[in-house]
Amino acid sequence: MNKIKLALISGAACVAMVACSKPQPPQTDPAAAPAASATAQQPAGTETAPEAVENAAPVDQDSLAAEQARLEAEKIAADKARLESERARLEQLINQIMSEDVYFDFDRSELTEKAKELLAQVAELLLRETRFTITIEGHTDARGTEDYNFTLGAKRAMKVKEFLNAYGVEGKRMESVSYGKEAPKVEGASEEAYSQNRRANFRVNIKD
Amino acid sequence: MSSNKHAVDGQKVRKVFRISSLALSIVFWLLLFLMPSVSSAAIDTIAVDVGISVFKTMPIGVVPFTEPKNSIEWIEEKPHQILTRDAELSGRFEVVPSEKFNLALFSKKKAKHYITGKVTPTDGGKLRLECFLYVSQTKDILLGEAYTITQQDLRKAMHQFFDQVIYRLWAERGVASTKLAYVSKIDGIKQVVVSDYDGFHRSQITRDTVISMMPVWMKDNKGLVYVNFKTNRPKLYSRMFGGTEKVLFPQLDQTYSPAVNPVTGELLFSNTVDGKTDLYIGSPKTGKARKFAYLKSNQTSPAWSPFASEVLFTSDRGGGPQIFIMGKDGSDMRRVTFMGRYNERASWSPSGDRIAYTSMDNGKMNIYTCALDGSDIVQLTNNAGNNEHPTWSPDGKLIAFSSNRSGSYQIYIMRMDGSNVTRITNSGENTSPTWSFFYEDSNKQEGAK
Repeated sequence: MNKIKLALISGAACVAMVACSKPQPPQTDPAAAPAASATAQQPAGTETAPEAVENAAPVDQDSLAAEQARLEAEKIAADKARLESERARLEQLINQIMSEDVYFDFDRSELTEKAKELLAQVAELLLRETRFTITIEGHTDARGTEDYNFTLGAKRAMKVKEFLNAYGVEGKRMESVSYGKEAPKVEGASEEAYSQNRRANFRVNIKD
Repeated sequence: MSSNKHAVDGQKVRKVFRISSLALSIVFWLLLFLMPSVSSAAIDTIAVDVGISVFKTMPIGVVPFTEPKNSIEWIEEKPHQILTRDAELSGRFEVVPSEKFNLALFSKKKAKHYITGKVTPTDGGKLRLECFLYVSQTKDILLGEAYTITQQDLRKAMHQFFDQVIYRLWAERGVASTKLAYVSKIDGIKQVVVSDYDGFHRSQITRDTVISMMPVWMKDNKGLVYVNFKTNRPKLYSRMFGGTEKVLFPQLDQTYSPAVNPVTGELLFSNTVDGKTDLYIGSPKTGKARKFAYLKSNQTSPAWSPFASEVLFTSDRGGGPQIFIMGKDGSDMRRVTFMGRYNERASWSPSGDRIAYTSMDNGKMNIYTCALDGSDIVQLTNNAGNNEHPTWSPDGKLIAFSSNRSGSYQIYIMRMDGSNVTRITNSGENTSPTWSFFYEDSNKQEGAK
């Protein structure tokens, strides 16, 4: 019985997640999301109801409390799902902006003009979406030693952080980390692959 | 005629000796030219740097062990095959193989000694091995050892015997019983593994869903220190063999490039905070760490001198990576490498007189050695893919490294002059080897304590 409930709740959460992540345009205003997830919950809720009533007759109050807890959990799950999808959307948006151009030259950590333009867009986004924090990951291409590439990746991530900071994004919202040459975007030993891998990318986190 | 001149010159020397030392030196050089056979030894010891093999290899005969007919089913290599491989890898010997004792052959090849032995199966399913080092001409026994072992321990026993042979003939410790730690891609994830120095008996040390890398040996070979990414950033961990993993210096942010102090066991490593990388020194026991040197540039790839009085490291103060030296207190910093724009990851030879490092030229990595003042540069690898991450054998005769010359990255061993390159791993992708220290127990004859 409990297991069934749990399954249904998570099912509802899934529906909610799909509902609010899929059909919405990229520029969602936050108010639309709860509405969408609320409607998504409706059918899921009615589905569980008959089952709950059948077995619940003898222990009425217990089941009532359980029902309330369930609704509570559903709400929290929906909230979380909504925030999560927002986060995913922002992360995708930022990484999409950055992926248009790879912006470090070999063994360099200076930002190119193109990179600065793109980072300005990222900064605008971050200034608008104040609930999110970011982790900036610095990467290098496959050439060179593991050790030195860690320091190089760190320098690149730092340059990005400094730029965003100068643009007004608070330093405490940003964390930088180096992956050196350990997490290439593209495998291979061509200049094409190398230039794709000399990059910084972003992970977006939700501030607690 | 030449002996006449000789005598004349000799007289001259005696005369001039009383007059002036300048004249003496002139005559001395004259003598050198006149007596090449006498002087050649002196010249040789000066001119060891030009890529000619600096190794005087000793020919040695290797004869298969005798065994009762058809009584043993060998699961791996036979004893003499293991010894042959040890001899060839050691950088000290030239093997003269022979099916049986053959004095004519050994004499012709100048093999003054040969090794062989006898295998007998015991009642308990084990093997009894009697191993001997003989003088070829007299058949005198220079060394005899017996081992009663299972076949699984055959390689170990043969490595031990071979190190005894080296000690008997060279009065030096051999590396046949040492090990390598390196990184192996297993199911697509970099894991730390350990194998015998010849690539056999590999065992997996880390079993993680995220990458592990940069393994180095703790003091006395008790365990490994390595980098793992489980917290989404590079961080140092230690693991005693047979023990559990422990995070080192959790108070620091991104830690990597570990180097174990061979005297104290302390760790020198890189720590990156907000894009700035500094060298830190810390104790794996107490977990305490402090900044090692306060410098404006970024520092990585530290390496200790054999007795931990100085350290090598890489700094980017000139833009690209170059190798520097400083004292263990951070004093007396000086630059070592000036050739090329990318010189990285230096390691100190056990004898203390040279360093090995990786240099990048036209996007290709190659291994070099040079003297401590940066002079006398010798390129060890050339025109064979990328060659990286040199690590010295504890006896200083050999260098292990990784190369993608065969298409995929594999581990190779060569002599410290670049000759005799031998591949020791075959499948998957293997990188970043580090050689263990000597194992104290396997060299009883040293009798340190």
